[in-house]
Amino acid sequence: MANIFARSAGAHNQFKWENLGDIREGRGDLGEEMPVLVYRLMQYTMLDILTKEYGTEAADRHFRDSGYLAGTEFAKHNLKLDGDFSEFLENLQATLKNLKIGILRMEEFDSETGNIVLTVGQDLDCSGLPVTNETVCTYDEGFISGILEAFTGEKYDVREVDCWANGDRVCRFNGKTRRA
Amino acid sequence: MDTAAEYLFEYLRDVLYDPARANMDLTRLPEGFKELGQGLEFFAGCVSETRTFAKFLAKGELNCPLPSHDNEMAAPLKALHATLKHLTWQTQQVAKGDYHQHVDYLGEFAAAFNTMTKQLEQRHVALAREIELSRQKTRALEQSNDLFETVTRDSEQWIAVVERDTGELLFCNYPVTQILAAEDFLPQLKRRMSAEMTETDSGMSSRSVEIELTENGIVQYFTALIRPITWREKPSVVFVLSDVSEARAHIRELENTAYRDTLTRQYNRHFGMRLLDRWTAEKRSFMLCFVDIDNLKYVNDKFGHNEGDRYILSVTAVLRGFSPDITICRLGGDEFMLLAEGWDEDRANAHLEALRARLLKRNEDPDSRYFHSMSYGVVAVPGDNTLSPSELLAKADEKMYKYKRDHKLERTSLADTTDPGK
Repeated sequence: MANIFARSAGAHNQFKWENLGDIREGRGDLGEEMPVLVYRLMQYTMLDILTKEYGTEAADRHFRDSGYLAGTEFAKHNLKLDGDFSEFLENLQATLKNLKIGILRMEEFDSETGNIVLTVGQDLDCSGLPVTNETVCTYDEGFISGILEAFTGEKYDVREVDCWANGDRVCRFNGKTRRA
Repeated sequence: MDTAAEYLFEYLRDVLYDPARANMDLTRLPEGFKELGQGLEFFAGCVSETRTFAKFLAKGELNCPLPSHDNEMAAPLKALHATLKHLTWQTQQVAKGDYHQHVDYLGEFAAAFNTMTKQLEQRHVALAREIELSRQKTRALEQSNDLFETVTRDSEQWIAVVERDTGELLFCNYPVTQILAAEDFLPQLKRRMSAEMTETDSGMSSRSVEIELTENGIVQYFTALIRPITWREKPSVVFVLSDVSEARAHIRELENTAYRDTLTRQYNRHFGMRLLDRWTAEKRSFMLCFVDIDNLKYVNDKFGHNEGDRYILSVTAVLRGFSPDITICRLGGDEFMLLAEGWDEDRANAHLEALRARLLKRNEDPDSRYFHSMSYGVVAVPGDNTLSPSELLAKADEKMYKYKRDHKLERTSLADTTDPGK
């Protein structure tokens, strides 16, 4: 007998913000938060497998693209995108801090080119990692470019220039627009 | 140098206290100490790099070269560098007026910075509100001023504000500036304003007076609204003068039409009777004369009304010689009434007799075609008079007829020498 009321949310390998589910209800006792350790466990095991399967460059690209998708959706659902740049930035800083993603600090913004330099301190991905002389925040590169694009409507190419894992105590990102 | 340990010790001291002198010569170290020497040499490089970086930071030169990634010792300074870069950017935004900048996790500095931006924002908002209010006030004032200027400029009224204590003219509209240029008016106006100011108390409400000013012999009449005000913190008086000369002239014209006899330009019966009524009612003491032109009907019939009119005018001219203070009224046809105060009956009779003699003198002219003469009756009206105006007039009329009867013979004999009508 077929259930004519059955609804499908689609497959979970097709990302939809709604499919992140009702965490509060689902984790009534444990709550919505978890240690950063678990996040990193998933992230770096996934990176391990992807790198082994596709190589470092492809794995980084997939991580960056995932971050971009996350940044775009995150901005759409969590940020105020209709104010001026100052309001947007204030809102972004507060949201990243409240969700414990990291401490975003602006260093430069060129209003003519749209180019941007910012740092993210105490971030989820790499703060406290052992120094391996590499930049590892490729997911964040995509995440930041997705957010910036959602606000400005411009494509941003974001690259991490300083990273905790590279011996720097802060993760610094350069964002460049296509017009620049 | 005695031992490798001493060599390395000296090197380490130079690295810390005399970097310029620090020099590592690995060839001078025994094999077992070479790795330690290499390690100390790297350490010296980190110390030097960190020291250089710290000096840049101390001078606030944030666009300096960063220590190498291998230099773990400089990592906290790199974090400080990043924080300073961010604070620089935030301060620049605050300087541009963006007070939403917020510093997190920097202890007392963050608290102070966040308080500062909050206060700046509050002040900015208060200032912006104040500026907006000021703008609104300025706009309102500009509009009011514009309206005031338009009204006063286009006004035909003279508007002047004079400081009470000094007499200084604080404001005047365009017509007044024109008036001030007229030399005749200025002293008169100032004199009159000065006199009116002494009559005006600061607590007084507006009052209205009439002012006469003369320019080139022509009198202009004004009504002046005078009001004490405090302007620019100075006790002042505002004068609003309206030129009523034309209105006066119009009224005079109406009065002429209503109260004047069109032929002789003397007062008519209507005016005369009103004046007689008023003086009687006011219990005034005055003299009433009734004058009649002799033979006017004969002149009209014989020589026409134009000649009759000329006869009337000649008698009028004679009567005007009575006194400048007398009121002459033509009651109609050949009858006149004269009213005057300050004359007793005898004096008035004597005066009228002299006037009559002057009229009779015209009969000596050989070209005179008829006899010129008049009769009169004088009644002195005392303050305690009980007769009505018409009774007084009838009494004077009666006296006039008596006079006419008494002088009939005289007229006849004198007339015989000229025209039969005389």
